Amino acid sequence: MERHIVVCIKAVMARTPKKHVVRAPDVLELNPFDQPALEVALRTREERGGTVTAISMGPETGAFALSEAMAMGVDRGILVSDPALAGSDTLATSTALAAAMNKVGAFDLVLFGIRTADSDTGQVGPQTAVLLGLPLVTGVSSIEHRDTALIVERRADGFRERFEVSLPAALTIHPGSVQPRDLGLSGIEQAFEQGGIEKWALADLGLSPEQVGWAGSGTRVPSWTHVGREKHCEFLSGAAEEQADELVKRLVTLGLIG
Amino acid sequence: MDTLVSEKHRAVRRSVRAFCERELLPIARDIDHEARFPWDVVEKMARLGYFGIQVPREFGGAGMDSVSYVIVIEEISRACGGLGLCVTVHNSVAVFPILAFGSDEQKHRWVPSLARGEKLGAFCLTEPNAGSDAASIEATALRDGDHYVVNANKVLVTNGGVADICLIFARTDPDAGRKGMSVIVAERGTAGFVAGDLEDLCGMRANPVSSIRLFDCRVPVENLLGKEGMGLRIALAALDTGRVGIAAQALGIAQAALEEAVRYARQRRQFGVPIAKHQAVQMMIADMATQVEAARLMVYRAAVLRDRGRPFSQASAMAKLYASEVASKVTDMAVQIHGGYGYSKSYPVERYYRDARVTRIYEGTSEIHRMVIARGVLDG
Repeated sequence: MERHIVVCIKAVMARTPKKHVVRAPDVLELNPFDQPALEVALRTREERGGTVTAISMGPETGAFALSEAMAMGVDRGILVSDPALAGSDTLATSTALAAAMNKVGAFDLVLFGIRTADSDTGQVGPQTAVLLGLPLVTGVSSIEHRDTALIVERRADGFRERFEVSLPAALTIHPGSVQPRDLGLSGIEQAFEQGGIEKWALADLGLSPEQVGWAGSGTRVPSWTHVGREKHCEFLSGAAEEQADELVKRLVTLGLIG
Repeated sequence: MDTLVSEKHRAVRRSVRAFCERELLPIARDIDHEARFPWDVVEKMARLGYFGIQVPREFGGAGMDSVSYVIVIEEISRACGGLGLCVTVHNSVAVFPILAFGSDEQKHRWVPSLARGEKLGAFCLTEPNAGSDAASIEATALRDGDHYVVNANKVLVTNGGVADICLIFARTDPDAGRKGMSVIVAERGTAGFVAGDLEDLCGMRANPVSSIRLFDCRVPVENLLGKEGMGLRIALAALDTGRVGIAAQALGIAQAALEEAVRYARQRRQFGVPIAKHQAVQMMIADMATQVEAARLMVYRAAVLRDRGRPFSQASAMAKLYASEVASKVTDMAVQIHGGYGYSKSYPVERYYRDARVTRIYEGTSEIHRMVIARGVLDG
């Protein structure tokens, strides 16, 4: 059975040159955690047919993330962008995405990356699912398709959990679940030169400015401070075997090997 | 740089860099050491369109612009110079001349398989006694009915060991001097076509550089590219395009050397501090970064001129000359910053140093480029 899968993606800041937080085009990239979600959607389409839509909320400088999704093979890209959305926290973002989902047409599955590489909250997927009243499984590592349901698997605390989820559903995808495909040059050329990304403003979503942006956000980020990580290098002494024993002991103590 | 590149170009860089860092960088040291052509990676590159970057879509290519092209070559070369060389030579001096000078039938016959990387191309001009003096080649292609009988001894052929489709520069009229040169497309497998042993080179060792010899090789007349006597013109047009790619390759190697030098300078401690704190090292880093940036501007500008249909010959000659000389200087400084370790195969900078050296020699030596540039300035 064909599926219509919607994947919510974001252009994230890959670098903060001189510690400045500026969404300039050359520091943005498609959130690496969204790429496995796109890959899962595309593989599902290849196996079962259907369509994949990518939606991104953010300023116009992030539209390239949708072009990259289209270069991967996504059928439709929608940018939700409006000056009134500036300052949206995760709840306001989820409000806008849920409204976009209601407008996009019937869908079977909505996928999210497990989190974003810049703000790192992991909240947008779950909040959007709640707003849409969808069943949700987070950190999904594999999906089996049944006609009207999915069997999904996630790993947590050393256990493998299997869920049966009715459709439509929302999933956040574990980054280690699939290796995203590389972009072919031909796909990049077509996606970027032919355009075709739809742009939706707030009015298109039936939302008022009070529901989103600064006004619709319950949280504020009054300041950003860069926190450098202190690194120091310690040399172990003694014979090589003693050094190796000591190293293993330390790694076990830190829980890095077991 | 922002004025020269678009969102599309940034996407090209991100995707090629991600691919090369995952697939090529981890094996770059070994394939250099073993002088091995990594077919598995090459096949993946082929599927991503790296062998038909600017080939129109109707011939199975990606149909991209020259700026995208130089970014792809720069990024592959940042990981592995030998593979950057393979891709740039294939695209620029093998595929481009067929597209520019071939008949429709020839284009349909050869270009799609080349663009998909199912077949690899080579450019066979250099001979034991003809390098910079290209017009002095001795290879012959003499008409015999509906065939040319080709005899050629081509040396130092990039991709020679793996190329299926070779552009052979030969004399169709041995008495006509420069005007007697033509290009015959010879395919591997034709009787009399012999690819020689691989050269044991100082750098670019992942590239299967070899001789290509043709002994009384009978090639159908349909394989003549353009017309008889157009050889030198085709060579010059191909090299105009090719040198932008070599410049991009030199740029990628220089970029890699700069990044390694910065990484090492931050980590290596002498006199109680990271060596990056020493002014002598900072001076080198500043010179390296400045020269790499200047080279990049020249390379991208040459590509932009080509994309806009403007004359780019002089700009591409300058870019090739400057970027290749910068690559030599920058890789030399990267070795210096690494000290004794820079001279060891345990660190990648010695490979960059060896790989960079030849960019001042092939597709026109620095000296030939200076002659070309001076002629352009004085006659212009």
